[in-house]
Amino acid sequence: MLSRAVFLSANFLKGSAPLGAGLVHAPRSLHTSSQSLAPVPPLPEKPGKVRHGFVPEEFFQLLYPKTGVTGPYMFGTGLIIYLLSKEIYVINQETLAGISIGAIIIYAVKKFGPSVAAFADQLNEEKVAKVQEVKDLAMTNLAQAIENEKKEQWRVEGRSMLFDAKRNNVAMLLETNYRERQHMVTNEVKRRLDYQIALQHLNRRLEQEHMINWVEKSVISSITPQQEKESIAKCITDLKALAKSTQAKAVI
Amino acid sequence: MMLNLFDQFMSPTLLGIPLMLLALSLPWVLYPKPLKRWLNNRTLTIQSWFINNFIKQIFLPMNTEGHKWAMLLTSLLIFLITLNLLGLLPYTFTPTTQLSLNMAFATPIWLTTVILGMRKQPTHSLGHLLPEGTPTLLIPILVVIETISLFIRPLALGVRLTANLTAGHLLIQLIASGAYFLFPLMPAVALLTSTLLFLLTLLEVAVAMIQAYVFVLLLSLYLQENI
Repeated sequence: MLSRAVFLSANFLKGSAPLGAGLVHAPRSLHTSSQSLAPVPPLPEKPGKVRHGFVPEEFFQLLYPKTGVTGPYMFGTGLIIYLLSKEIYVINQETLAGISIGAIIIYAVKKFGPSVAAFADQLNEEKVAKVQEVKDLAMTNLAQAIENEKKEQWRVEGRSMLFDAKRNNVAMLLETNYRERQHMVTNEVKRRLDYQIALQHLNRRLEQEHMINWVEKSVISSITPQQEKESIAKCITDLKALAKSTQAKAVI
Repeated sequence: MMLNLFDQFMSPTLLGIPLMLLALSLPWVLYPKPLKRWLNNRTLTIQSWFINNFIKQIFLPMNTEGHKWAMLLTSLLIFLITLNLLGLLPYTFTPTTQLSLNMAFATPIWLTTVILGMRKQPTHSLGHLLPEGTPTLLIPILVVIETISLFIRPLALGVRLTANLTAGHLLIQLIASGAYFLFPLMPAVALLTSTLLFLLTLLEVAVAMIQAYVFVLLLSLYLQENI
């Protein structure tokens, strides 16, 4: 136990002043060696093992080869008996007071020790958990970002197909438009040509009719009155003859 | 016997060399210094947690000016608690049983609070000398009484701590002597006395912690009045 006090105070001295490194036996002398301050060696997780609350386990291991398991206990008993018998330690009322305060201390440590240790551990755990939460959140966010990126990359692959389809679409539209316009042009041209044909037909017809009228007129005008009388007389005789033949046919 | 009983309160010397400094510096080696680490071992965690909680509790009702006193009052508390508790072990010397030490703690700090109060807000500080709602006839008498109570504060602080601890230690010695000397004569009575001693020691542990806390709490209250 006292060795622990020495170590604790040694650590304290080491950290407190520049003299500290020189005063205390420090195997890691940081300011003279080439080692840097980081990475810092980890703190021991559990305190050193002790038996009966204050005797370090190393003491028992030290004496084990020579005296076995009961060696340290014999040593302790012998020491106590020596102190008592030689009256180096005198039993008086302070002993009684010491016994009562010792009993209180032992009871308190045994009863509340584990819960206090658990409380300290819980404080540390909470600290770590808070930061771990931040780290986990950051990690999930990054994983999500990776997923999103992969999806974007996949989308990019498909984009060329999309562009081809769009290109085809546009080409088809253009083609359709072109054809439409061509069709329109053809129709217009045909209309104009039809018009010309109709015009020619009309012209020809007009000419024909005119010619016929002219021929008729000239024929009619060429018929002299003599001819007309002769033709009428002929027609009358023809008619009489016809009438006679018809009458004769009817009587028969 | 009578001489022995009060020997425990004599300042320790070794061959004429006063050991008071050694006794006073004992608490210093018992508390680990906070390391530059983020996660500490259990001792440091509990120590930091305790100090943080104490500071929060004492300084919450105080305005920001008073927060400058946090280190002084917290270190005073830790010091007094450690001295008191260590004194309960057998054969130890408790420096806080010396009136000189306790007065040396109480008077300067109390005087600081008074002077600060008088400097910063004299009317407010003087106003503390007269409680609210006193009938007009009583005012002169009450002012005198309040002034006396103001000046008796350091004495009260010092003597309270000294008296409590001295009385406790004396009682422990007395009852332990009683049990020890009765043991060969009347073992049963000695057993009863031992039980009494056990309970008294429990009480003394509580008193040790409470008295230190009360000392610091009262100083913080005086600070609150005046800051």
